[in-house]
Order: sequence, then C-alpha cells, then structure tokens
Amino acid sequence: MDGPASVAAGNGMSKEGDGFLSRVSERAKATRLGNITAARSVADAVRTSLGPRGMDKMVQTETGDVLVTNDGATILEKMNVQHPAAKTLVQLSKAQDIEAGDGTTSVVVICGALLEASLELLEIGIHPTIISECFQIGLDKSMGVLESMSSPVDLENREELVRAASTSLNSKVVAQHASLLAPLSVDAVLSIAGDERQGADLRNIRIVKKLAGTVDETELIPGLLLNQSAESGASGPTRIEKAKIALIQFQLSPPKTDMENSVVVQDYAAMDRILKEERTYILQLVKKIKATGANVLLIQKSILRDAVTDLSLHFLAKVKIMAVTDIERDEIEFISKTLDCVPIASPEALSADKLGKAELVEEVSFGTEKVIKVTGVSTSPDKPKTVSVLLRGSSQMVLDEAERSIHDAMCVVRCLVKKRAMIPGGAAPEMEVSVQLAKLAKQLPGHQGEWIRPRRNSGHTRLDELGPHGAGFRVLQVSVSGSMPRLWRSFLTRWRKTPGSTQSKS
Amino acid sequence: MASQGLSVDGERQHGQDVRTANVTACVAISNIVKSSLGPVGLDKMLVDQVGDVTVTNDGATILKLLEVEHPAAKLLVELAEQQDEEVGDGTTSVVILAAELLRRANELVRSRIHPTTVIAGYRLAMREACKYIKSTLATPIDKLGREALVNAAKTSLSSKILGSAESDLFANIAVDAVMATKSSKKEDGEMYPLSSIHMLKAQGKSASESQIMQGYVLNAPRASQSMPTSVSPAKIALLGFDLRRAKMKMGVTVTLNNPEEINKIQEKEIDLTALRIQTVLNAGANVIFTTKGIDDSALKYFSGGNAIACRRVTMKDMRRIARATGATLQLNMADLNGDESFDPSMLGHAEEVYEDKIRDDTVMMIKGPKVQPINTVLLRGPNEMMCDEMQRSLIDATSVVKRMLDSNMVVAGGGAIEAAVSTHLENFATMLGSREQLAIAEFAEALLVIPKTLAVNAAKDATDLVAKLRAVHSLAQSDPTKISLSKCGLDLAEGAVRNNFNAGVIEPAVGKIKVIQFATEAALTVLRIDDLIKLNKKENTGEALE
Repeated sequence: MDGPASVAAGNGMSKEGDGFLSRVSERAKATRLGNITAARSVADAVRTSLGPRGMDKMVQTETGDVLVTNDGATILEKMNVQHPAAKTLVQLSKAQDIEAGDGTTSVVVICGALLEASLELLEIGIHPTIISECFQIGLDKSMGVLESMSSPVDLENREELVRAASTSLNSKVVAQHASLLAPLSVDAVLSIAGDERQGADLRNIRIVKKLAGTVDETELIPGLLLNQSAESGASGPTRIEKAKIALIQFQLSPPKTDMENSVVVQDYAAMDRILKEERTYILQLVKKIKATGANVLLIQKSILRDAVTDLSLHFLAKVKIMAVTDIERDEIEFISKTLDCVPIASPEALSADKLGKAELVEEVSFGTEKVIKVTGVSTSPDKPKTVSVLLRGSSQMVLDEAERSIHDAMCVVRCLVKKRAMIPGGAAPEMEVSVQLAKLAKQLPGHQGEWIRPRRNSGHTRLDELGPHGAGFRVLQVSVSGSMPRLWRSFLTRWRKTPGSTQSKS
Repeated sequence: MASQGLSVDGERQHGQDVRTANVTACVAISNIVKSSLGPVGLDKMLVDQVGDVTVTNDGATILKLLEVEHPAAKLLVELAEQQDEEVGDGTTSVVILAAELLRRANELVRSRIHPTTVIAGYRLAMREACKYIKSTLATPIDKLGREALVNAAKTSLSSKILGSAESDLFANIAVDAVMATKSSKKEDGEMYPLSSIHMLKAQGKSASESQIMQGYVLNAPRASQSMPTSVSPAKIALLGFDLRRAKMKMGVTVTLNNPEEINKIQEKEIDLTALRIQTVLNAGANVIFTTKGIDDSALKYFSGGNAIACRRVTMKDMRRIARATGATLQLNMADLNGDESFDPSMLGHAEEVYEDKIRDDTVMMIKGPKVQPINTVLLRGPNEMMCDEMQRSLIDATSVVKRMLDSNMVVAGGGAIEAAVSTHLENFATMLGSREQLAIAEFAEALLVIPKTLAVNAAKDATDLVAKLRAVHSLAQSDPTKISLSKCGLDLAEGAVRNNFNAGVIEPAVGKIKVIQFATEAALTVLRIDDLIKLNKKENTGEALE
C-alpha cells in the first residue's frame, strides 16, 4: 500500500500539506477510503441478521432460485459481491465458517466496525501502519481477556453443551425448533467425537434431507440412513431383521456387447440358448451372493450398465434379498465406514467376511418420500463412529436453511471438543474486552493508547446491533446482569474470530 | 447510506421497501383466491399456455396453475401445497389468513413497532390459539358416528362444485370409499390409505348419477372379441412382461444361410411366447392382466384356454388389484433353476370377472375379491372440466374423513372457530402487559377475515354478521352457562348466526389447527425478511463468444 505512495512522493506530488500525511498521495487515500467504504457496506448488509432476533435475507440467485437465510457466510457467498475489498470480507466470513462454523455474521460486523474506527483515525492524520500496529496490540490483549474469562467445559456435562448449541441455533430461521435441534446436534457430535487431539470429524455425520413433514420430526439415527428406496418392482422384501449387508460395485445385469461386436445366431435352436444363457448368468451371480449369507444388497450406481434388470430383481426377490440401487460413488466410503463392511468390486471377491451386520434394515415412507434405515449396526470399537441425521421440512427453503443451521450448531459443539472452554454469549465478552482495552489504553504511554481506544469502541458496535434487534435491551441485560451461564458460547469460535477480523484490515 | 456502495451484480432492496413489496405480492395472491372461499364461493377458470381449461374452486389447484414469479408470493403458493398435502382441505383459508396476518403486521411495522416484536406476538398468539382450540373448542367423539363423518364431508363439499344439490350423495360416497380402504397392519393400528381409492371419470349423464360400485372397474377392454365375456370363479395372473413375439436383444444378429430357416426362426419367436402363455394358463389362471403388450398372434392361445386377457393395464391399477385379490405381480417367469415357470400361489382370486359397459366404454369388472373388498367411485358429469373438479372435490372430502378418523376431534365450521379464537385472543392480549399485546390483538382481528370473507362471498352484510357473531362468542366466553354458544357460526343461506355444530357444519380440529399454524409460520417467514437481493441472470456465454 505504501508502494505507490512513495513513488508518488518521489514525483513531487506531495506539495500540498505538511506532516507525514503529505507523503501519502491523494490517490492512495482515495483507494483506502474506497476499500473501507465497500467493506463497511458489506458489514451493513449482514448487520441486521445478527442475534436471536435478527432478520432474514432473501436472495434470488443468478439461476432464479430463491433462498431465505440468516447465515452470514451464506448471504455473502450468494450475494456475489464485486468490489475486491468487499470480497476480502466475504472470504473472511467463509474462513470463519470453515474454521469455526459459526459466528460468520459477527466476524464481518466486527471487521466493519474496526474499519470504521480506523477511518476516523485516518482522517485525523494517523498513519495506517501505526493503526495496524495498535490493533495488533489490542488483539493480543483481547486474546488474553477472552482466555481469562473462559471457563472449562466438561464434555460429560451434556446440558452445558446443549446450551451452547442453542445459542447458535437461536439466531436462525429454525429458532423455534432449537429445543429439538440443539440436543440433537450435541448428541450427534459427541457420538462421533474422539479425544481433544482428534477433535470431531463432521464428515462422519450424514445429513439426509427429506421434503416431507415438518422440522419437528427431525431425528437422529444411530446407524445409517440412505436416501434411496428399496427396489420394489419385483415385490422383494423391504424390511430385513438380522441383516447381513453386502456393498457391491458390480452390476447384476447381462454384460453388453461392445459396439462393433455382435452375437450371430444362425440356428433357431440357438435362440433358446441365448435367452437361457442370460437367465443362468444372472442366476449364478444371485446364487453366489446368497451363498455368502447376505440378505441386503447395496449396489453402486453405474453409468455404463443398468445396475439391475427386471430379471435380477426378480431373482433377488425370490431368494429374499432386499436390493437398494443407485448408491453414489461418494457414499461408498461413509457406508463402508458405518457398516464396517468392505466394498466388493467383483463377483469373484464375494465372501462372508466382507459383509456388514445390522439388527434391522427397513424402508420407511413419509407420504411419497422414502428412506432406508439401518439400525443396530455392530462395528468393531476401534473404527471411527458415524451417525446419521434425518432432517425433515415442509419446503425446500426451510430444509436447506435447517441444514445450514444444524451444521453451524454442530460446528459449535465440535469447537468445544477441540478446545474445551466456553465464554458467555450475548455480547458479554465484547463488553469485557472493550472495558479491558479501555484500561489498557490509559496505561499505555504516548499515542499508542489513544489508538487502541477506537478498537474498544468496535466492541460496542456489536452490542448496539444486538440492542435494537433484541426488543429493547433485554438480551443485553440478561447476559450482563449475572445470568450469564444461560448463554454459553464456544470459546474457540470467539478466539478465531478476533484475530480473523483484525488481520483483514489491510 | 453506506450500503449504496455495495456493488452486487443485481438489485438490492431492503428495510421497509422490501417488506411492503412482499406483503403486497402476498395480498395480491390472496385476493385471487378470496372469492372462492365458502359454500357460496365462486369458481375460477384458468387457461394454461397449451389452452387447457381448468375450472376449479380449490385454492391449491388455482395457485399451482398460476405460475407465480414473485419469491414471496411463491412462499404462499408453497403454503397452500403444504396444507393440501398435510390436511387435504382448507387450502384457500390458509392463504387468506396468511396474507391478512402479513397485511396487519406491515401496518404495525409502519406505526413504528419493530418486526421482531410483531413476530414474537404472532408466535405467542398462534400457540395460545392452538392450545385454546385443543382444550376448549374441540369436541372429542369417541365412538365416531357415521353421521359425524358424513357431516364433515358435507362441510368440505359444500364449498365445492358438488355442494349444491348432491352433497348428501357425495358425502356418503366419500365416507364409504374411505371406510372401504380400512386396513389394519400389526404395527400401525388402523390405516386408511387414500391412495387406494379408485375413481373413474366418465362423461355423460348428470353428477347425481355418480355412484360407488362394489368391485373394481378396470378401464380396459378384453384384448380380443373371441375371449369369454365372463369367468367365475376368477384366478387372476398379474404380469409385468411382454407377451409379444420374443425379440433378440441388441447386439444379437440373426444371420441365415438357408432361406427356409426364416420360417423356422419366426415360428420360434412365436413359440417362445406361446410357451410362456401356456405356462401361465397351466398354472390355472383364467384372467391375465399385463402392463405390457400382447401380440394379436398370441391372442388365440388365451381364447383357446377360455381365459380373459387385458393388455396395457397401468401399474397403479395392478397394485390395487394385487392388494384386493392377493395376487403377486410377476415381472419375470424365470425360476431358480434357470427355466421358466409360473407358481400357482402367485395367482389372485375373485368371485367373478366380467365385461361391462359404462357409457360407450367397455370395462372389466372384478367382483368379490378374496382378500379385501374394493370399491370404485364412478363419477359422472356433463363435461371433462366438471368431472375433473368433481374428482378434486371428492379427494378433499375423503381427506377430511380420513383426518376425522385419525384424530377423533371435531370443531364447528362456518367461521365459528375463527370467531371464538379471535374473541379469546383479544381477552388474552389485554392480560399481557408488554408490547406484544398489539401484535396479538392484530392476530385476533386477522382471524376474523375468514367469517368476513364467507359473508361477503354470500352477498351478506359482513360487518353486521361478524359483529353479531362476535357478540355471541363474547357472551359465550364471559358467561359459563352460555358455553354452548361457542359453537355458533354463520348460516350463509339465511344470513344469520346459528349453532353450526348442531346444524352439522363440522370440520376436523386438526385441519383448523394446521391452518393457523401454517399461516402463521408462512407470515413470519415473509416478515423476517428485511433484505431482498436479486442477482441478474447470467449472460449466455454462447452469445458472448460471437
């Protein structure tokens, strides 16, 4: 940033004014101003969606899809911002989403406030590097403050975790379902969580969305959920107890001849043989599968051949094997992890030890929609655990938003698994940091103290946001006047947020 | 304003502007369906792009055909669909109520009440309303009399095309049809799967000639005139494969050196099919339905075996016949030895299968199925549009009957419940000392839009009637001895207030609760939006290259 300024100074364009400001050309100043304005307008755009009583945004995307959301990262991503500086903020929010999963709106709002504060300082003629430096001091101090006000979390204390998840969910569109979704997210994450070092891999949680019923009917399934439905064409079974599950990657259909080749029939008697050959081929495959003891078959989707034909379904139904087709390639890993089975790539590789076992596999239908539930899975204890969530909603919009919200809540819990400390929410930490920074500002000698003060004010900004949207100052009073434990916040979320927003000031 | 600097590729509206725009769009949608509410509501005629005409009174159907573009208005259309799916009736009411709630909320916001306050108030009101309906207004009927079911069906039908003269007939048809589907599975208790109600539309004669027939009417003629017209007792085989000449698969070429072989090959093709048919007949089948085709050359085998065969039967019919007769649909005849055979246990049984005539169509009648009795609702009407609308109305009525059987709770219709809840909420609002009071009072007012619209549609003095209705309900809630008055609703023929419960205007309670819940949820979703960002459609890259 100083590059063009110094060149400009060399050209002798710095004659207007004195002091160190004179070394900064008007152009550099304008650029900085432009950047700050753009970034602030991004912050303004998401500002109203902060907090439990925040409002939603409706975005109509380029393709005409309509999205109603309260999630900062999603809003910014879909908004398609063009200004480069504004884009930095969008990425900032995305980074927060990836790292912590929640607090994507706050991070942008704080960043906007910091920039606004720095603008004032720039106007009275303070050099950007000094502002930067002081913000850094402020950041270090606030980290310390946050650390000191955090309290350790015991993962055994489920209630505390549920409170943290509720705090995250309360600001979402699905807030009225928080009492159901919060314990659900906690249970989901805890059931897959390892120790502090491993953390919790959210990829081990599978969310299956179904457009039927209402969000109230969302449930956590210890086991596997499949979006596919059982093949019912040949009236095969749709419910199997004491299931042995084979996950196969080959097809139960007659092989196709290559393009240029053809089978030549010269004799009418041969026609019989051809028809019979197809039957025996399929029959051999089915018998081989049956011989391993499998009674549930999950078949990977293939673009080259039909996974099953009427004939093979007919045979499977006869030997009472439940068949599920159209398993996507990227689902294979999760399924084999969950069921503790090995995907079988060819008929030769079939063997009994590659099968997964479960107490019950059944197809469940909600109106026209169907899912397959696999419960009572027996896995070896050293394997990573997985869990599935059946998310239901009455419209696609609600469903998508519920998925985003539940993901955020799970991220909060994941953060707690990684770093087991919490701080109160509802702007309490911001207030505390602000107060502490004010003290620091007074102690510091020289101009530095002066410049930290604005940073402190940015903490207030967040507070002001919660205020007007929180129906008076109730939210505020609750969190400050002693009932803090009600609104626990994950410490890690906040911890990431503060450095994030400070550093993005260029 | 700082946000002006936000450079997005598209438009951005926010604050009060977007709220007003959304509310206006929703109110516009509701105005379209408003006049079709109630027993004297009027119908809409919709002509689509292809020129197909639909005449209907059903809110969900109207909105579905409208192809609404505005994103907020779309929410309302989805709302109607949701109500249709969950309850099956009350699709018009839910849209009208949601729009009215929104309109009032917007007024409140304009008079400087923050939307979050309105949202909190509405949510509180919604909970209180549902609680009040469940605890006080709903009447449980333990032993559901048939009369109650018929009355509920009648109430649903009264606002439809069938309501005028034939509501008695159709209400009974609806109740009979639902009762016939009753099946009790071990784990779920009694179930009434509406999908198994079979309706057949036949133009001609008048609506009053519609009837419910014993047995299953399959809209397919015999495949050949040489087949018998009736068999008894019938053994039914349901096939899912082709009975045409066996063709070789792709990639198999027949090459002949000797011209005489051609005949043999062709014969073989026919023989393969003949063998299959013979196997089925040998298993004892005398009625064969297939979803695929039957070659003319193969028909003689059926006639020879004294069997009836129908081709191109739809999968839906097949499933229903299978359920009623105990047959299993066979997609293939292959057995576990690699040969083809047909197991007699796959056959379904019925007392009689015969050909009959309805209008000019020949149909197959399946009488006296062995496993489960099955009925067919035959709808007659002067034209196709009328028949379609009759079907929609009857489906609504059957879902009402099903809800009644599922939930066992009923409430009085004709605006009674809305007036009662409204009066209760007004009292409830005055008990609250917070600013949500205003929102709850507006919620109470908004509920009155239903009786008001009913009265307006019936060409009565809405102000007068609703005032009377409210007075009655206020009395009922203040004086415990007059509790029976809480079932009073509008009598739209007379333009008076009467006890609708005794008059037989009743609805399932769950339907009304869902209307209030869904309408509130939808209104809140729209209300929570304070920012609308519309991105420009992406340019076609193909043109850019030019």
